Amino acid sequence: MTATRTPLAALAAATALTLTTAACGGGQGADAGASGDGLTPVTVGVLPITAVAPLYLGVEQGLFEERGLDVTIETGGGGATTVPRVVSGELDFAFGNVVSLIIAREQGLPLTVVANGMTTTGDADTDYSALVVPEGSDITSPAQLQGATVAIDNLQNIGDTSVRHSVRQDGGDAADIDFVELAFPDMVGALSNGQVDAAWVVEPFLTLALREGATPVAANFVDLHPELSIATYFTGDELIASDPETVDAFTEAMNASLVYAEDNPDETARILTTFTEIDPDLIDDLRWPRFRPEIDRDALETVGELMVTDGLIDSEPDLDTFIR
Amino acid sequence: MTETTAPPPAVPVGAARRPRGAAARTGPNRPLLGTVGIVGFLVLWEAVPRLGLVSDRYLPPASRVLASLGQRATTPQFWTAVGDTLTGWALGLAIALVAAVVLGFTLGSLPRVRAFTTSTVDFLRPIPSVALIPLAVLMYGTDIRSTLLLVVYACFWLIYIQVLYGVADLDPVAEQTARSYGLGRLARIRHVLWPTTLPYLMTGVRLAAAVALILSITAQLIIGSPGIGREIAVAQSSGAVASVYALIVATGALGVVINIGVRALERRVLRWHTSVRGEATA
Repeated sequence: MTATRTPLAALAAATALTLTTAACGGGQGADAGASGDGLTPVTVGVLPITAVAPLYLGVEQGLFEERGLDVTIETGGGGATTVPRVVSGELDFAFGNVVSLIIAREQGLPLTVVANGMTTTGDADTDYSALVVPEGSDITSPAQLQGATVAIDNLQNIGDTSVRHSVRQDGGDAADIDFVELAFPDMVGALSNGQVDAAWVVEPFLTLALREGATPVAANFVDLHPELSIATYFTGDELIASDPETVDAFTEAMNASLVYAEDNPDETARILTTFTEIDPDLIDDLRWPRFRPEIDRDALETVGELMVTDGLIDSEPDLDTFIR
Repeated sequence: MTETTAPPPAVPVGAARRPRGAAARTGPNRPLLGTVGIVGFLVLWEAVPRLGLVSDRYLPPASRVLASLGQRATTPQFWTAVGDTLTGWALGLAIALVAAVVLGFTLGSLPRVRAFTTSTVDFLRPIPSVALIPLAVLMYGTDIRSTLLLVVYACFWLIYIQVLYGVADLDPVAEQTARSYGLGRLARIRHVLWPTTLPYLMTGVRLAAAVALILSITAQLIIGSPGIGREIAVAQSSGAVASVYALIVATGALGVVINIGVRALERRVLRWHTSVRGEATA
């Protein structure tokens, strides 16, 4: 009896083994080296938002290819998945906000900033992000947010830190704000049906909120520092050690892309239609951050100090090792 | 996600779902009622935002959503996304089916091994597939393998458990009759065990086909692997509400097509079975 059963049992074992090996293989694609045409393949993880337009534009204009890079852009996931994937080497570069990166560094993750992503305009009336209140709200200044419910996209991150700073700067009590986590796309609705008293929104939802009658009460990034780099491109320290030329090439190409995007606003607006679904009628009204290669140290020091004040980190970050 | 956690009922197909015989013929005109239902729903959907009961910014009227869908259906990008979604669905379902049939038949006919593995299966089975998302992202990033991991995991258990039930349902009299007629092991599997298990297997496939679509879309929406789910996420982060609804309608249509296909397959594969035969001759 057992003899006749053995082939079946063996088949079962073989199936299980195949499934396991199939499940374990792959995942380390990026270190394959140069591709056939002499270009080095690199993958960059981003979100499909207006702020990464320079990357798409630079790729389209061949600024990366000129420097020997064959870029694959991956969208989706957000910071929670891009950071571990950069650490594991599966993504070569990614786009992330500076507060998330400082927190990741403090936790000992080997990440380093290699290029600027976007900088606030430094002007409250034109910045691409703002703290807004719904139509008819009594709140007219950040200090009045005391005791209010404020929507941000992530707790313990750049949203609450910058909003608290704006409130303190206006003479209010930042400890008494009730922050709630909401996705940016849900904020405009939450504002108009009164679920929250105020919301920190970025484009394209800022323009949508303004069209719904919302009023800006603070430009939290401008308040934080007029030269603030809000988000940057980063890589893992392993890639910097193993292939510094590729990292240099990425930094150069990214910087060239930022300059190109800033110099050609119409092109930057046009490229949005290739990777977002933003209504063309909305694109004309969008507010943009500044795209430039410089990362202002003074602004990042201010961010570090505020993060210590708010208890996001224990000690101020070492900016010399944070930025390459 | 209850589909992935609750053990599926081991009921052979068709038994209670359809009225048979005379009742079905004298009953109301089903296609007509179905059409009236859809039209009614669309009229309601059109009216609610137009009357201002809900802001059209959050629920655009049906006409605008369908126009957006129609316009999208002319772009190759949309069909690539549909293709990616269906690839994830089909491949995941196929892998789960093969693995579940092979393992189910093997372990089902080895009572000792089955008893030995029951506790492990009972532990693994209730783990919702979506809980594996962090694992999928770390192992496979955003490519199709992430989708496959979730789809295969969820579908495997659905089919596997049905196969185990099917194998356990083997009629000892039939089995022994086959033995006494001198049928070999393979012949008995082919003529006794397989027909016994097939209705159960098809129930598992029908359940898994729906769950596979759910998880395929979930993976694309959350992980960002290619497909309609990712298109929904991009539209959402662009504030393009009509596009979001259009894509949701597309996933619904995909679900209907898949369901019709699986039912047709079921009727074909089980055309000899009383549940289907009764329906056909009535």
